[in-house]
Amino acid sequence: MSDFDAIVVGAGNAGSSAAIYMASKGLNVLLVDRADPPGAKNLSGGVLWGNDLAQILPKWQSEAPLERFINNKKLGFLTEKSSFMLDFKTQIFEENKVGYTVLRSKFDPWLAKKAKEAGALVIPGITVESLAIKDRKVIGIVESGDTITADVTLLAEGVNARLAIEAGLKRPLRDSDVSLGIKEIIKLSPQKIEDRFNLKNNSGVASEYILGFLGELNVGGFLYTNKDSLSLGVVVPMENLRENGITHSYDLIEMFKEHPSIAPLIEGGQVAEYGAHLIPEGGLEMMPKLYGNGYMILGDAAGFAFSNGLVLQGMNYAILSGIKAGETAVEAKLRNNFSEQSLSAYEEKLNSTYVLKDLKTFKDIRKVTNNPMMYNTYPKLLESIMLETLWERGQPKKKIRDVLSSCASNLNMGRIKTLREFYYIYRRM
Amino acid sequence: MMDIKERLGTLKYDVDKEYAHITVDEKICEKCPHHFCVMACPAQCYTLQNGKLIFNYEDCVECGTCSIACDQGSVTWHYPKAGKGVIYKFG
Repeated sequence: MSDFDAIVVGAGNAGSSAAIYMASKGLNVLLVDRADPPGAKNLSGGVLWGNDLAQILPKWQSEAPLERFINNKKLGFLTEKSSFMLDFKTQIFEENKVGYTVLRSKFDPWLAKKAKEAGALVIPGITVESLAIKDRKVIGIVESGDTITADVTLLAEGVNARLAIEAGLKRPLRDSDVSLGIKEIIKLSPQKIEDRFNLKNNSGVASEYILGFLGELNVGGFLYTNKDSLSLGVVVPMENLRENGITHSYDLIEMFKEHPSIAPLIEGGQVAEYGAHLIPEGGLEMMPKLYGNGYMILGDAAGFAFSNGLVLQGMNYAILSGIKAGETAVEAKLRNNFSEQSLSAYEEKLNSTYVLKDLKTFKDIRKVTNNPMMYNTYPKLLESIMLETLWERGQPKKKIRDVLSSCASNLNMGRIKTLREFYYIYRRM
Repeated sequence: MMDIKERLGTLKYDVDKEYAHITVDEKICEKCPHHFCVMACPAQCYTLQNGKLIFNYEDCVECGTCSIACDQGSVTWHYPKAGKGVIYKFG
């Protein structure tokens, strides 16, 4: 007889969602987190898409500690002196209100509290030492030398999945698996935020940037509005940071903040918190086997995150993987069978959701998002096209076709190579 | 540019003075050809002083970067013990 039906390691979006689902279906659940309050070690860019959360917490929009709902998405290409923005704002987002900015240190303790309300035992401030393994089956966790047993253990321990790696259930991370995200919370009054970003009624903006002014570095930037702060940060692939080898990661965010189109947006704001987190971007290549005798792997620990340059998402993948792992555990309990074969339903369920469908559809996406041209050439191309067409300099005007070819050739972009590049991106994005 | 030490000063920590959750093997670091950890660590836990690698775990934000950055086998990486380490106020 096990101490619990299920033990969940990690009170992030994946772990707490799984705990909520299982506890609400009557399972005897233990949820542990190494932080106290639970979730206080968690950090992400900050936009939560809550479609899946609504499955387990239908009233999340009125109950959760949310910041601002997104009705404006922007994508920017920055060069040293210019910015080229795609700016999409819609009442359709306003009517549906599914995407919100969140601050994880507020949101995650709330989600863990919901697990407790559903009936789970939530113990924060526990760093699990290792998995308890007997006869090649995970039978629970070891903490302070004691073994706590469960029929099934859900590993939602985050991108640094130490337990899974040390137990040989997942290989150690490599450069190509991750990007480093660095973020600051910048305090600014709600009035200033609403004026600067043209917002009202608790609406918010989520902007992503391609930083085309950092030489050979492939850095993306983000800027999200919270109620009375901004979440601003950069994302750099570990491979690319190593190739460069001469830039301190912590300087990149300052270079972004100093850009002429960013500096006025944050002027007068106080940095209230600095932080960093690895982002699993390796997709299927980094995905471990998701289940085995007595265990399942969820969320970041499984490599569930997605970026195609236009969007950067992970929390929704975590929540949905948590729900699917929860469903699998509940069904396994009915069968009283927690074997590898019984838990394989977890992967089958994920296969029919966007979690694994997206990872398959976009398996080559890093060839686009890590394409050096995307950073060191295309932003400059856009800048020169805009200057050619919009800047009156007392010169005879050119047709668009001629503008394109002269701008491209100034950047040493041959016509055939360029078309091939665009086609390559078009096919994968 | 805002100094990294000043930015790290915005963070709240419960430092475990008894236990370093990350350790480095100085003998390996001496022979390291790149010291990429110094560039990669976002919390400036790794610095070079007169060519010698100095490591401090107190400012660590537990991101795991150094465990990947070090390909020489010097870094031994664990999470801090129960509730110790960085405590994000915003996250």
